[in-house]
Amino acid sequence: MNKNIKILIVDDFSTMRRIIKNLLRDLGFTNTSEADDGLTALPMLQSGNFELLVTDWNMPGMQGIDLLKAVRADPNLAHLPVLMVTAEQKKEQIIEAAKAGVNGYIVKPFTAQTLKEKLEKIFERIEASQ
Amino acid sequence: MTQIMNNETGPLSEEYIDRVRTLAQTIDSGNTDEAARLLDELTSLREKTLFQELGRLTREFHEALQSFRLDSRIASLAAQDFPDARERLNYVVSMTAQSANRTMTAVEESMPLCDSLEERATGLKQEWSRFTQRKMSADEFRDLSRRLGEFLDGVNDDAPRLRANLQEVLMAQDFQDLTGQIIHRVVQLVDEVESNLVELIRISGQGLVAERQDEQPEDRIAASGPPVPGVDTGTVAGQDEVDDLLSSLGF
Repeated sequence: MNKNIKILIVDDFSTMRRIIKNLLRDLGFTNTSEADDGLTALPMLQSGNFELLVTDWNMPGMQGIDLLKAVRADPNLAHLPVLMVTAEQKKEQIIEAAKAGVNGYIVKPFTAQTLKEKLEKIFERIEASQ
Repeated sequence: MTQIMNNETGPLSEEYIDRVRTLAQTIDSGNTDEAARLLDELTSLREKTLFQELGRLTREFHEALQSFRLDSRIASLAAQDFPDARERLNYVVSMTAQSANRTMTAVEESMPLCDSLEERATGLKQEWSRFTQRKMSADEFRDLSRRLGEFLDGVNDDAPRLRANLQEVLMAQDFQDLTGQIIHRVVQLVDEVESNLVELIRISGQGLVAERQDEQPEDRIAASGPPVPGVDTGTVAGQDEVDDLLSSLGF
């Protein structure tokens, strides 16, 4: 697993961005950037060579699910791995995210161990498909 | 006639029954003038009761509307309590954010201290085991001894810093008490608004209830924030259920 990959963390709460950033750093991922909703995130993704997107769902402006759909609809970003970290946990929502092509789904509150497992799973699949 | 009166005013009173009996006897005896008079009396008695009842209902309705309109509490709810509640809730958001940041600052400062302690201890442990296995020269031991001294000094410095940071984490939890009190007040306000709304609906009749079927069905996909136990339904109970659901979808 390449720990130098560029990761974008999208959440409207700065405290949650800070938590995720800290957890990623503990896992060895230090190359992180932050955005506070989909509208700010999308241009960053389009110009920034990010290799992983970690996004919340419920945000003002553009929501995480719409960001995910926009990413999948953009030919340059379509294969970007997307990990959703959200408090949204209705079954319909999880199914919707799965249909939209999410690579992992973590419900808040979550543990460092869960984040680690889901990231490993995402990277395992990427490596297996290459 | 009996049936109709029963439906409208309840059981027939003795007063009515007596008059009806007298009326029947009068008709039987052929006194038509007296019968007509008794019939008029009966009709007016009936009207009087109806008007009394109607008057009572009108007065009650008027008083209820009047008291509702004059209830200055409702005006102050809209003008004062709601903006006030908004401010209070915003304050809760900023207090919890402040607490989270205080905690994270303390943790971020402590992590490197732990890392450094662990790293130095690991290095010294290896040296120490070489010493206990008598694989160390006197010069090397002098060096180890100096580094052990430095390490112990370091622990003496770092432990109070860690303790202070943990203390800071502890103190940063004081928001729970304060935000809890504020939120309780807002919940009380919501309770009050609810009972006022119920009263309003009671006064204005049942019309509102019939229109409820026009309500939009809940959008199950729209973001609604963290589920609240006992309030939100159809949610998964945690990460394990998310994983089960996703794996059932082929993830």
